[in-house]
Amino acid sequence: MAPPRASMAHRGDEDEVCPVCKSSRYLNPDMEFLINPECYHKMCESCVDRIFSSGPANCPVAGCHKTLRKNRFRKQTFEDINVEREVDIRRRVMQILNRREEEFDSKRAYDDFLEQREEIIANLVYGTDVAKTEANLQQYASSNVRSIRANQALEEKEATYFQEQQTQEQELARMRRQAAKMEYENERREVLAGREDVLTRLASGRPADAAAIARQGQKVLLKKSSARRSEEERIRQKQAALRNSDAKKSGQPAARAAGQDDGGFIKGLKRIKTPEPEKPYDPFGGLVPGKRDYFTQSESYPSSYLEPIRQNAQIQAGGFDLREYYSRTLLEAFAGLGCFIDEEVSERDSAAPLSVGQPVSTTGQS
Amino acid sequence: MFEDDFYRSSSQYRHWSFTETSLQKLRATTNAHASERVREALRRAREARQSASSSAAGTPTPTQAGSDADSKAGGADEKDIECLTPEEELQLVKYYCEQVILVGESYKPALPTIVRATAIQYLRRFYLTNSPMTYHPKNIMPCAVFLATKTDNCYISLRHFAEGVPGDTTAEDIIAPEFVLMQSLRFNFDVRHPFRGLEGGIMELQSIAQGTGQPAPHFPQQTSDTLRRGLLAVPPTPGAPSSSTITDRLGRAHTTTRDLLKTAAQMTDAYFLYTPSQIWLAAFYLADRALAEFYLDTKLGPPTAAADNNNNPLSELRSKIYRTLTNCASLLQSYKSLAEDPSQKATARRISKKLYHCQNPEKANNITSAGQKRIPAAAAAAAAAAAASGDGGTSESDMERMAKKRKLEREQREKEGRDLFGGELVAQRTKD
Repeated sequence: MAPPRASMAHRGDEDEVCPVCKSSRYLNPDMEFLINPECYHKMCESCVDRIFSSGPANCPVAGCHKTLRKNRFRKQTFEDINVEREVDIRRRVMQILNRREEEFDSKRAYDDFLEQREEIIANLVYGTDVAKTEANLQQYASSNVRSIRANQALEEKEATYFQEQQTQEQELARMRRQAAKMEYENERREVLAGREDVLTRLASGRPADAAAIARQGQKVLLKKSSARRSEEERIRQKQAALRNSDAKKSGQPAARAAGQDDGGFIKGLKRIKTPEPEKPYDPFGGLVPGKRDYFTQSESYPSSYLEPIRQNAQIQAGGFDLREYYSRTLLEAFAGLGCFIDEEVSERDSAAPLSVGQPVSTTGQS
Repeated sequence: MFEDDFYRSSSQYRHWSFTETSLQKLRATTNAHASERVREALRRAREARQSASSSAAGTPTPTQAGSDADSKAGGADEKDIECLTPEEELQLVKYYCEQVILVGESYKPALPTIVRATAIQYLRRFYLTNSPMTYHPKNIMPCAVFLATKTDNCYISLRHFAEGVPGDTTAEDIIAPEFVLMQSLRFNFDVRHPFRGLEGGIMELQSIAQGTGQPAPHFPQQTSDTLRRGLLAVPPTPGAPSSSTITDRLGRAHTTTRDLLKTAAQMTDAYFLYTPSQIWLAAFYLADRALAEFYLDTKLGPPTAAADNNNNPLSELRSKIYRTLTNCASLLQSYKSLAEDPSQKATARRISKKLYHCQNPEKANNITSAGQKRIPAAAAAAAAAAAASGDGGTSESDMERMAKKRKLEREQREKEGRDLFGGELVAQRTKD
């Protein structure tokens, strides 16, 4: 589908001719040429209207059998139709392969991705392995719909933010200019007023005060201008601080929500870890209250001297519970039965050799 | 096992459990340090005496015989001082541990077993890191007993306590080494005794005998009935009267075990080498072997063939526990009481005679001053109490000290009076 090079050379010429209807610009100075990204054949507006108004039709250029639609026709941006095509392809590929740098494990992985993308674009532009590349691209697009869409949204957001930033800056610059202008005006007016004031005072005052009045007038003027200047400086600083904080606030990109499987098409993507669901809180830290390994406590035990206590309301009234005694004695009966000191302590000592053989208090001069 | 972790958190396990070798090493180190210090102290004392006598040499010697005696004493000092060996120290401490029991019995009512046992353990722990050459056990022993009455919630007033201690020991003498003692105990007052465990075990066995036993957690297939039948099937001890019931047998085993725990467990190193649970089971094992084996089998399962010992953690634990219990039992059996072995008393007398010569002279009277240095308030209170309870006349140095204190206070008040906003309000009120 190599575009006809001959017609390109004459674009914008006076005697440019539409390859379809052969009408020339000479006869119709308002003639506009349109192209369709399907085959990039150029034709004039009236031809497009004539041929495609009633629905899709074949390209009228001889030998080209592509079916074109009217809504896809647009004006040519670049003079060279090859560049136009490459830009189109690039835009399409970039829309699909729109991974961002923060999605990759390393800078290297991102760079590899960029190279891969360039390769795909080059393949499509120069027609090598088109079918396979296309298929890959389509498969990637269909399996990563969500991440693609999310990245698109992100990009849009960034773009609008950038736009906003631009307009805001322009607005600020305009306001600064206006303020400077107003300031200048004010200053001039005040100088004039001051001069007038001095003159009236000179006119009404005595001749002896003339010098004093003139000096005073000068001083007042200076004071006023310096006060104004410092005030303006303050306002400017405030605005600058405001701007900075705004920029910081909106500078963060939105959190990422991506991570479909892309079938290994792009390497080095960060694994997105889903945080493990939090376990229910265990106040005992794994300990089962009341669990014992050597005995099961029963409600009561036969004992000639404990029995009176169990029956005695006086003792029970204070909150004494014989079960506490049972559990304590039984626990102590087995506490440490499985602790083998000769093994465990020698292990401990070899781990921390200082703990033994250091008589503490014999060395102290107490 | 949960119970084992419970014991592992105790200070007895963390600080006061040793292997046999590390225990020996620790005692040897303590002895070596103490002997060295005793020798140095005696040399210093001798030098001081010599310089004193040389300054006195300017005056004519009174008699020939006196100087002769002096030189003889010097000659005795010259030869190396014989210090106690670690074994002798241990013997001496053991003798004083026996004394603890006697002291405990001298009170009306007698001190509970647990207090005496705690006191003995305090004493034994103290002499792990201190030598009798540095602190004489005769001074430390009453203090350990008094401390035990307090930590085991069996408080007796100090004056009452002092009456029970043999000899002319005053109340101040008793509490003088208290801080040193507590410091050497690393302030670990908790001693885990096997007595309560014994009660628990006997209690459970009795409930099994009555047919209300509960199955052990690892053997849920046991029922109280099978347990009871198992207990009744335990072969009787050879010497016992055949007509006795199982309850009688349990009672007898209980008494024997308790006696063993009261004496043998206290007087040997059992507390340092084994856990309380192992100690009481070993004593029980000595008292009634068949019964102890039955009881352990209900907890750890019956003996299995050696072949599958390796894969079952419970049977592995069982064999290990049996090994430990046998060792502990033989340690407990090795104990001979003073009554059984009168030569011990003679040995103790010999050692204490020897100790008289190698006592560290710098530490002998030092305990009280150390206590005062550490806790001036308590010492001052003790001194005040002594003054009140004594003949009423304070000593000269006390008077001097009081005068100095009053002077200091007066100066302080004057200084504060000159202050911009005056002194403390309370101080002013006292002045008014």
